[in-house]
Amino acid sequence: MPPAPSGEIVQLGIIGVLLLLLLFYGGTMWMSVAISRKKENADDYMTAGNRIGFGVSAASMTATWIWASSMYASVTAGYTYGVSGPIHYGLWGALMILFIYPFGKRIRAVAPRAHTLAEVMYARHGRSSQLMLAGSNVLGSVISLTSNFIAGGAIIAMLSPLSFGAGILIIAGGVLLYTLWSGFRASVLTDFAQVMAMLGAAVVIIPAVFFLAGGPSMFAEGVSAGHVTPQQESFFSSDAFMNQGAPYIAAVLAYAIGNQTIAQRLFAVREDLIKPTFITATVGYGATVIGVGMLGVMALYLGIEPMGGDVNNLMPQMVGTYLPVALVALAFIMIVGSLSSTADSDLAALSSIVMTDIYGQSVGRRNADPKLMLLIGRITMIVATGLALYFATARFNILDLLVFVGALWGCLVFPVIASFYWKKVTNKAFTLSVIAALAVFLPVRFQLIPLEGAWALLVELLAIIGVGVVLGIMAFGFFGLRPAIVIGATTTIAVLPFGFGFLRDFETLSGSLVAYSVSFLVCYLLSVRSSQDFDFSVIKKVTGDFDEETPVSGAEPRPGTDPDDLDRVTADR
Amino acid sequence: MTALLTAYVLMWPVLVLGILITIARGFAKDVAEARKEGRPII
Repeated sequence: MPPAPSGEIVQLGIIGVLLLLLLFYGGTMWMSVAISRKKENADDYMTAGNRIGFGVSAASMTATWIWASSMYASVTAGYTYGVSGPIHYGLWGALMILFIYPFGKRIRAVAPRAHTLAEVMYARHGRSSQLMLAGSNVLGSVISLTSNFIAGGAIIAMLSPLSFGAGILIIAGGVLLYTLWSGFRASVLTDFAQVMAMLGAAVVIIPAVFFLAGGPSMFAEGVSAGHVTPQQESFFSSDAFMNQGAPYIAAVLAYAIGNQTIAQRLFAVREDLIKPTFITATVGYGATVIGVGMLGVMALYLGIEPMGGDVNNLMPQMVGTYLPVALVALAFIMIVGSLSSTADSDLAALSSIVMTDIYGQSVGRRNADPKLMLLIGRITMIVATGLALYFATARFNILDLLVFVGALWGCLVFPVIASFYWKKVTNKAFTLSVIAALAVFLPVRFQLIPLEGAWALLVELLAIIGVGVVLGIMAFGFFGLRPAIVIGATTTIAVLPFGFGFLRDFETLSGSLVAYSVSFLVCYLLSVRSSQDFDFSVIKKVTGDFDEETPVSGAEPRPGTDPDDLDRVTADR
Repeated sequence: MTALLTAYVLMWPVLVLGILITIARGFAKDVAEARKEGRPII
């Protein structure tokens, strides 16, 4: 066993932190300048030409999905639930990337040159569905941006004498500077350097803390000192599953569908590389986040008390307590890399939504001015950064906001996915199902109505159906409709005897599940008798490039670029 | 149990290293292809 921690943690000092930030943001700025063009193309600013290779796209997908909050949350899960905690955080998050990939292939097939999912919803349904999805995307990205700024400010304040306010300003300024000019292209390319730094740091830091904190003997000594409970020692902890894993399974499926940063990479990667990109990101995210979560497991066995009673301090505390200053600097770069890669993706996502869904589709694709569009994208980034800075200083409860957005996206998952496969889904069904799901979710999640009596039974019935809907959606992507119906129905029937009288105690889980079930029931019931027979080829014609570069003489128009097609299909939008 | 937990903690950085190498090789291939075709990588 190493000497007991004195409570002091290694400090990097003002000069050290500023030099590291200068190195990090200077390097990313240099990469951004290297690819900048005097005259940027509006479509490339959003999707980098829809043909990025495996290395860049896998790096970008991994870097974007790993954000600072995921590292902090995994460490907290390890400390709270023991050995299975990080699995119930990181594994499900990783598998969701995998579960989304078959839907991603379908989305890309029907809309090969789209920029946002909301744009595709416009082509599929019309303006209300588009704005509903775009609005939830904007809200989610601003909250994510805020959360990353807060994480940056907190780590700078902890490892140096600089204040939290100075920390968030430096992070926000650094990210905005290198993303502003080239948008998504800069975000994607810098993701490569950031993921190398993050993954490289994780490879070194996890074993370093393990051995410097005592190595294998910490486990037996932790048990004999009474630091861990039998549930925390178990790889099959029901506590960890019910409180951490299960709500997360439901929430993350929604995050992957509702998050524009993922959709943007889906539209940017070369179509034949979608599968290897998603598989690599699945393993990369899972191994990194679960691995970092091991710091929380170690803290638990070592009997460490979080500084100030805040579990969010555990990761920097473990690193600062056991590692020499050079490795603390490496850990600092890992955290700054994770938050910057997600923050730049959020900025690129927000600019794309405003450029495409607010400006582009409102004036019509043929009337959109690419130059003005780029200006709008850049102004969006500046405004979003300002808003996120305001929220970060106002110290809103980010977790509550994230739960709200997660549920909002949970309401959208079935209607969005069904809209890509089922010709009968109408705009009315889409819109009403999302509103109805939200109306039931809110009182359940925030316990506006006490969960008792007939209301509790109704909520539990809906939550039980929701379990079947979640598993049915996952099965549908890989195995098709029939197996999905069998799996969904079997799961619902299997949970039926246990769910009543039980699920009411887990309002976070029940809230997410009712969002799925209500949106499914309303969307299905309103669509099943509909006579609509939607032609999916319309989507390819409505979505497409805004910024036409010199056309090749005599060439076939690219999907979505033939003016006659566009006039015809947008006449009723 | 100690050996199992040790392996459990240390397997993740090994997996991360594998992914790091995969992504780095993929990136190098992207750069080489872009150079060969005379276009920017992104």
